[in-house]
This record gives sequence, C-alpha cells and structure tokens, in this order.
Amino acid sequence: MDQIDKIDQIDQIGGKMSDYQYEEKEDFSGKKVKVLGPTYEEGKPDERGDWRSKLGSREDALRYIRTALRYWYSKEWYGSEKRKQEA
Amino acid sequence: MPEEKLKSIDKATVELIDKAERENISTVFSRADELKPCPIGVEESCCKICSMGPCRLPRPKKGEGKVRVGVCGATIETIVARNFARKVAAGAAAHSDHAREVVQTFIKTARGEAQGFTIKDEIKLLAVALDFGIAVEGREIGDIARELGEKALNEFGRQEGELVNIGKAPLKRQELWRKLGVTPRGVDREIVEIMHRTHMGVDQDYRHLLQQASRAALADGWGGSMISTDLQDIMFGTPVPVLGSINLGVLKEDHVNVVVHGHEPLLPELLVVASRDPEIRRLAEKTGAKGINLAGMCCSANEILMRHGIPCAGNFLQQELALVTGAVELMTVDVQCEMQGLQSVAECFHTRLITTSDRAMIEGATHIEFHPEDGLDTAKKILKMAIENYPNRRHAVYIPDARQDMVVGFSHETINYLLGGLFRASYRPLNDNIMNGRIRGVAGVVGCNNVRTPHDSGHIAMIKELIKNDVIVLTTGCAAMACGKEGLLTPEAAKLYGGSGLAEVCEAVGIPPVLHLGSCVDNSRILMAATAMVKEGGLGDDISDLPAAGAAPEWMSEKAISIGQYFVASGVYTVFGTTWPTAGSEKVTRHLFEEYEELYKGMWAFEPDPVQAAQLMIRHIDKKRKALGIDKARDRVLFDMAMRRALD
Ligand code: SF4
Ligand code: SF4
Repeated sequence: MDQIDKIDQIDQIGGKMSDYQYEEKEDFSGKKVKVLGPTYEEGKPDERGDWRSKLGSREDALRYIRTALRYWYSKEWYGSEKRKQEA
Repeated sequence: MPEEKLKSIDKATVELIDKAERENISTVFSRADELKPCPIGVEESCCKICSMGPCRLPRPKKGEGKVRVGVCGATIETIVARNFARKVAAGAAAHSDHAREVVQTFIKTARGEAQGFTIKDEIKLLAVALDFGIAVEGREIGDIARELGEKALNEFGRQEGELVNIGKAPLKRQELWRKLGVTPRGVDREIVEIMHRTHMGVDQDYRHLLQQASRAALADGWGGSMISTDLQDIMFGTPVPVLGSINLGVLKEDHVNVVVHGHEPLLPELLVVASRDPEIRRLAEKTGAKGINLAGMCCSANEILMRHGIPCAGNFLQQELALVTGAVELMTVDVQCEMQGLQSVAECFHTRLITTSDRAMIEGATHIEFHPEDGLDTAKKILKMAIENYPNRRHAVYIPDARQDMVVGFSHETINYLLGGLFRASYRPLNDNIMNGRIRGVAGVVGCNNVRTPHDSGHIAMIKELIKNDVIVLTTGCAAMACGKEGLLTPEAAKLYGGSGLAEVCEAVGIPPVLHLGSCVDNSRILMAATAMVKEGGLGDDISDLPAAGAAPEWMSEKAISIGQYFVASGVYTVFGTTWPTAGSEKVTRHLFEEYEELYKGMWAFEPDPVQAAQLMIRHIDKKRKALGIDKARDRVLFDMAMRRALD
C-alpha cells in the first residue's frame, strides 16, 4: 500500500478529508498553500470537560501518573534529562 | 480644562465609577486622585526600621558630591535592598500562610473532622503522595491523605535540608540553586530569616540580602504556593475546562447576590455547596428573590470559577464597584487584597460585609469565623443572613449590562491532556510547534490591578501584542480576569487576535490563545508547565533555556514581588510595569536587571508601557530561540489530498 492509500484509509476511518474546512494561507516562503481550518466543535461547552473521571481504578490512576506525568513520575524516562542520568 | 485621565478600559467599571462619583461615594479611584504617591517612598529611598529615623535618602542632586547615608551609616543600596527583601518576605508569607490554612484543613479532612470537605481528586492525591515519598500501594485513601497532610505541614517548620517540591524542578535548575546557596530549607525559616537580616544593623550587603530574598521567594513558589495548589486540587478537584462568565453584569437584580472575595477557597467551596441546598433556595424564594446568585471577586473567584464555573464579578479594582450596584446583599472577605474602603461603601447601601478569617478583621464589618469543623453550618448561616438582607435594599439597583463568556480550567495536567489525550498526554505537540515556529514562545502574564495605571489596560495591551506575535499566554490572578472580560479566554480569540501560527495551533487543539491557569498561588502551575516543557526535550535543559518570559504589567502587592522574584530565580525573564521598587538605587537595580542574568540566567526588567514591555519579552524569546538554533522558521505545511498526490 503506498503512502497516499494509507492516508486515504486513515481518512475513511477518522472522517473524510472533505468534511474538513481548508483555508488559504501563506507559508513561511510566501507561497499560497491550503491549510486545515478549525477542527474544534462550534459553540460553547455546556459541561465540564472532566477527563479525569475517565480514570477509574487505582491501577488506572497510577498508570496515568507514571505515563502521562512521566516528567516527574517515570523511573526510566525523564525526557531531556535522560541523557544526564547515569546508566 | 485638562483632559480627564482614563480610569479603566472596561465600560462597566467606568459606568460604576461615574455612579459612585455622582453619589459621593469614596472609592479607590477617587482616593487615588486625592492622594498622590510619595516621591521618596515610590523609589523605596526611605528607611523607617529604627527610631533614629525615618531616614530619607532621595537621589543626590546633580553635581552633589556627597554620598547620602542614613543616621546609622546605611547606604541607599542597603536601604533599597532591605525594603525589597521585606516585600518578598511579606508576599511569601501571605501565600504560605494561605497554604498553612489549607494544609491544616486538609489534615482535618483526612481525619474526617472537616464538615463538608472530602478528598475529591484521588489521582492528584496519589501523585502528590509520591512526591513526598509516601507508599501508596494497597493503602486506604484516608490513610495516605493523613500522612501527606502531616508531611506537607513539616515543610513549613523544616530547619535543614531542602523543600520536597524542589525535586520537581529541572535537574539543572536544582544544581544551580545549590551552587548559589538559595535552595530553600523550610518555608517559615526563609521568611523569618529575611525579617532578621533586614532588622537594624544586621545584613548590610545588598547582594547578600537579595540572595536571601531569592531563597524565600523560591520557598513561596516551589513551597507554599505549590503546596496550596496541590492540596486544594486534592480536596476540590484539579481544574478541567469549564465555561464561566465574568464582569459586573453577572450580578442579578432579582436574586440574592452574595459576592465571595479574597483568596482561600475553603469557605467559598462550602458556599457553593450551601447555595445549592434546597432549604436555602426555598428561603431565598420566600423573600421574593428568584434564587441565590453566588459570584466571585479576586482570587477566591478564580478558585470557584476554575472548579465550578461560578461567575466572576470582577478583579481587584472592581471590588467596591460591585457594592456600588446596590445589588449585593452580602460580601464575604477572608485574606489579602480586600480594601478597607469596602466597609464605608457597604454602609452607603444595605450590604453586609462579613470577615471570615481568624487572621483578618475590618473595623465595622461583621465577623463570622470559618472553622473547618463546622464550615458548612457557617456557610449556611452566611447565606441566610444574605437572604434576610434582600428585602432591605434601599437604593435603586444599577447593574451594568456587561457579561462575557470564557473557557477556564487549564491546570498543567489539563494542558498535558489536551495536547495528547488521556494515555498519550504530552507537552510534545507544544514543544514541536515552538520548534517549528508556529508558536514563537510562551509568556506568563499575571498579577494585580493598580489604580495608578488605567484598570486592565496594561494586561490587555501587553497580551494582545504577545498573541499577535504568536506567543501563547498563560495567565492567572487579576490579569486572567482582565483577559476574560476582553474575550481573550475563548477559542475564537485565537482567530481574532492571534498571529496565524498561534491561531492555527489553537484551532487544531481547540484552546484559547490565552490559558487561564487559576489564582495567584496557581502561578506554581506555570512553573510545572515550564518544567514539563524542559523535561519533554528539544528546548534546552533548564527553564532559562525556554523561549519564555513573564510579566506583571499592573502589579501592586508585595505578593507580586515575591512571585516575580521566584520566577526570576527559576530562570524566567520577568518584566514589571507601573513602578519599580528599587528605583532609588542604581546598583541594586543593575544587580537585579543585569547581574542576575549571569547568576540565575533569568532577570528582572521594568517597562511601564505594556506594548514596549511585550516587545522586550518577544526580543528575549527570540534570543532564546536563536540560542536553541530554532530561530529560522522550519514550518511544515499541512497538505491537502491533491497536494499529497502531487508529491508522488
Ligand atoms: S517615611 Fe518614607 S513613605 Fe513615609 S512620607 Fe517619608 S519618605 Fe514617604
Ligand atoms: S536603620 Fe539606619 S537608615 Fe534605617 S531608620 Fe534607623 S538609622 Fe535610619
């Protein structure tokens, strides 16, 4: 499968490219290009975006802390500081 | 006739200033016209710490050879540095005493002794417990919370070693602090040491005095303030995006209006709970009101806005004006930024002013003390007083038609989530967009209002200039409220005011170009977001490497000086507006503005023009981009399908 077909397939799963809005803008060299427009939902949220309630069990919470908050809580990975840790 | 000075850029504020003037009501605006700042005090060139003084040391006149010193021989450098360090001590003490109150309530909550409080955010409890080296596996939540509360309380009285939260900073920054001798040992110790060292005849070397100012400020930012934020999040929930509204138009003519003013979110949380109690609602309706309308003011407002979407009536300079509407039945105040003038404004109307903290009373106000053991009962008692006061309105009510929607609730955890999703949460997209130049850099714009500069004007002019230049803004405190009123805290603002690169990223993620991170103690969230960016990689090894800057264009309180000092000592270039509190000494000012860059890789600057100040910040951001080698835009273009096929 070539790259374009792969992208097409992803588009079919995640929503057609034609569903998105495009806008014409200038790129850094001044050339006109079409770029993806707003992808967020119109209107105002009427409920709290309570993503934290999706974490149910203690295990989920600890996994989230060690992965999502890896900057402080992962034993192996400290991003830019990894290089400075002794092996 | 001389043109009248602009007092505010907010129409609702101006309307109520005019109403107050017409009705001969004294407010901060009229008092500022009558009382000009003392020209010696404004430069901090006076010392009154012993009774051989006060010693006034104005700048020497041109050609005057004599070096002026105080009666004890203290130089202007010593006097100015002492005054500056004392401001830091007062600011750090304010944040940290707030934190102590939170920790003590937290301990009572963990023991089940605090009425109406629970542990709402178990995830944050686990994370903070891990920070403190507390074992969490297989333990009950209450058990973990009890141990955390006790360990957090120890941070205040600790005499040696390092504050636990220092371990959250980038490793390189921690090393630098140790090298400079500014790693804070204990919160109270560093503040007390400033008070000792600035006593008559103790520390008389300005550089040495300012070193201790850094140590105490870091004990605020990475200590007291961070402990407050973390434990409040555990008890009341880590903020997540929520829709709120702001400005004096949130008050409702046909409701019992209760304004919650101050800083500590403890009683305000319970007022939120109590205001939803059916019995309280019924009582309100019995008096002919349509219900209870709770609204916030200053940082108490930020706290309940971020967690519950409770409307915010306004920021620091609007506190008296809320009462001038004649629509407020009752205002509660706890600690910090509450003007004593509130009581005389309240007396012009039917408004009850209630002080609620054991540390703060106002002459003439009614004192109803909050204690966690019976906090919910106290909240209900206060609301009942407000309801009883509703029929006592004796003036025509005037509420300006000004109310703006906004999206708030951007804790550093929520930013991480929004950028990457729940299980791929990451600051990577932010770092990538900084590296590819769509986002030029990050700015923290925070702090107060100051009546010596048109209300909100500094914040708005600076922030619009920053976002126009693709700098994403993180904001807290009264600055955040100014942004809310101006409509900058909505996703649409990115398109309206943002540069094309920033707008594109904000549109893709669905966030405003200005992110509201909370109250003043929540500036610690900005430290955490900056640390996450460093640790994510690609933007250097320290906060001082980031293309980032900080500002408080309308600062007025000593807390702002402490915040600025801990931002600078954490490596952030920080620009203040209005006045500069070391102006009396060139040497001290040069130390803070220039020598600090060598020492801390972050330094202070002063620029009263907010647009010029934004330009200084942008220049600093560009300097950091150059140092990182990302100054040439390496923009990626988002291709549509036809363009992709054309590549083949
Ligand atoms: S003591 Fe200082 S602030 Fe007070 S009047 Fe004198 S110079 Fe001004
Ligand atoms: S400490 Fe020195 S400079 Fe300060 S008031 Fe006393 S004599 Fe004057």
